[in-house]
Amino acid sequence: MYGFEMMSFNIKDGFLESIVRGHRSGLLTVADYNNLSQCETLDDIKLNLTSTDYGAYLVNEASPIYTATIVEKCTQKLVNDWNYMRTQADEKLATFMDYCTYGHMIDNVVLIVTGTLHERDVQELLDKCHPLGMFDSIATLAVAQNMRELFRLVLVDTPLAPYFSENLTHEDLDEMNIEIMRNTLYKAYLDDFAAYCQSLGGATAEIMGDMLAFETDRRALNITLNSIGTELTREDRKKLYSNFGLLYPHGHNELAMAEDFDQIRSAMEKVPAYSGIFSKLGYGESQMLDKLLYEEEVKKCVDCFEQQFHYGVFYAYMKLREQEIRNVMWVSECVAQDQKGRIADGIVYLF
Amino acid sequence: MSTARYTVAPTVTMLTMMKARLVGATKGHALLKKKADALTMRFRQLLKEIIEAKENLGATMKGSFFAYTEAQYAAGEGIKHTIMDNVDTAVVKVRGALDNVAGVKIPRFSSFVIPGETKMDLTGLGRGGQQLQSCRKAYQSAVELLVQLANLQTAFLTLDEALKVTNRRVNALENVVKPKLENTISYIKAELDELEREEFFRLKKVQKNKQKNQAKAEAEFATAMAELQEATADTLDMPPFDPKMPGQNVQPPASSSLLNYKEDDMLF
Amino acid sequence: MAGAVAGIPPDGMLLAVLADEDTITGFLLAGVGNVDLRKKRNYLVVDSKTPVRQIESSFKEFCARDDIAVILISQQVAGQIRNVIQQHNKPIPAVLEIPSKDCPYDPAQDTLLTRVKHIAGFN
Repeated sequence: MYGFEMMSFNIKDGFLESIVRGHRSGLLTVADYNNLSQCETLDDIKLNLTSTDYGAYLVNEASPIYTATIVEKCTQKLVNDWNYMRTQADEKLATFMDYCTYGHMIDNVVLIVTGTLHERDVQELLDKCHPLGMFDSIATLAVAQNMRELFRLVLVDTPLAPYFSENLTHEDLDEMNIEIMRNTLYKAYLDDFAAYCQSLGGATAEIMGDMLAFETDRRALNITLNSIGTELTREDRKKLYSNFGLLYPHGHNELAMAEDFDQIRSAMEKVPAYSGIFSKLGYGESQMLDKLLYEEEVKKCVDCFEQQFHYGVFYAYMKLREQEIRNVMWVSECVAQDQKGRIADGIVYLF
Repeated sequence: MSTARYTVAPTVTMLTMMKARLVGATKGHALLKKKADALTMRFRQLLKEIIEAKENLGATMKGSFFAYTEAQYAAGEGIKHTIMDNVDTAVVKVRGALDNVAGVKIPRFSSFVIPGETKMDLTGLGRGGQQLQSCRKAYQSAVELLVQLANLQTAFLTLDEALKVTNRRVNALENVVKPKLENTISYIKAELDELEREEFFRLKKVQKNKQKNQAKAEAEFATAMAELQEATADTLDMPPFDPKMPGQNVQPPASSSLLNYKEDDMLF
Repeated sequence: MAGAVAGIPPDGMLLAVLADEDTITGFLLAGVGNVDLRKKRNYLVVDSKTPVRQIESSFKEFCARDDIAVILISQQVAGQIRNVIQQHNKPIPAVLEIPSKDCPYDPAQDTLLTRVKHIAGFN
């Protein structure tokens, strides 16, 4: 259907696209960040934020305010926007939006599972879950005593069931390191999401393909970087890489073999899209990498609004909002901890 | 100060005993004083270190907190729950040893990290792992500093206590035991002197009495002699000074009294 | 005193932490946390909802445990149970007041530091 979206897109999704573009213009600008950077206390930050889209959420918060509260309220704003759009969405878009939140869902499931294994209070665990990753039966996760039971009773009814059943055996469920499990699930999720986007076709497939490729490559890079010097073997490492992306498959082979940052670097630099990022890094520095990757992600998300009639804007909006919340958290922490010199190190300007 | 003394019988044996005790007390006092000085020196040094470390603490902890913020930025808000749930057995522990400062045992801790793989190694595998590891290092060094500080603090409390006890002992020796012993010694000495003087006086008195009695006896003898001479002169009419006279040999009064006197002297 | 020292197990003693969530998370990340077989933890997360009574009982419990050498307590929390801390005068476990993330370290509030400064003779 490529090229013909404009004929039919607005029938079902035009309203929501206009909504999401409206939300996008509510994102904080450079001027807003400059104002925030000038703040001396968290109350000042709150005051500054009340003149933005977050105003309604923060205005009733009593002093003293904490970073955690600010972050929570900002997240609340995203969740409300998202849920509003989700309820208005047509079937295809709704599925797409659900896919966007599966990442959080995986985190929540993992959180509840580990919490249950450590005999934590269920209510306490539910409070910690990310609101975007909630699903109806999440509370029942806690009834399960072991992983096998958990899968049979609860997970099988969730959208995540195929990821579990296809990638993990029962033995894995019992003894696998929780982080490996999380990343295995995430890999399955990204593969599935990419496949779904391709099935939608058109501009969505093109744009989302690009974004997800970046996401999966970033994960591959991070996994490699973080698993150097740990118990994770090369084969295990390779199993965590998704089956698409710009690095697939040759880059993955190289990454799986990499033993230090420079080897990772040489593997990544073979992909033209990433060589630009790495050229900004001096040799041996890996600390700045995260910020550069965030910047790249933001750039992609912003570019995504340049095209019309596709679902990528929703995904991009979620990512941008999340980055913005991270920025706000960073600024607030810097102000609260009296580290204002570091503010510029963390903010990724969206526009 | 106090005139307190031990209640003892003022005898020569007691005196030697007391003197020995005084020597002991003086020696003990000198030793304790030395110990107290050593402790005080260490204590002063500690105070300085504690204040420095405490003021450093603020800065170090600030660095650690910020490292955590960085980790949170990179790995997302939810990371703390993952960390909380990954707690298993401690890998950072504290080892204790004993330090000896002038006989005071001070516990000395040192933190150590149990080597080996931990569950935390893979935390943040998907994202933010590096920041988490650097945050972990920051906190581990913070723990090291905190344990150092705990050391200083424990040493401070222990030394404070020990110093108090030692000072109390020094003061007790200096202000109570030693004066008391000295008082007792001077008391015994005074008592003994007194006894000696009394004895001397008594002897003098005896001598005096004896002399008095002697004089009296001589006087009586002389009168008796005179009476006798008068009586013989009346009846026999003999020449008064004739040593060749046999009657004179019978009664030699002067010589006999002298002899008596000498005998008395011998008694002394 | 000597008895407590002799009681140090050869495999090392633990640190206990009473503080807010973020501060504790950092220490847990460093590997201070310990959960024993009976699910007893050596840390207590204190938030605005934690009753003072619970903080007190945890503090006393940590003091009584013989495998804990150092108790780290954030100043904010310490302020809530100041009297209990002042009663604690044994050298082991050593009670250390640490700053918490949300409020910077204030040396004037530290029980021990004020005492040290008093003895050292400068304020």
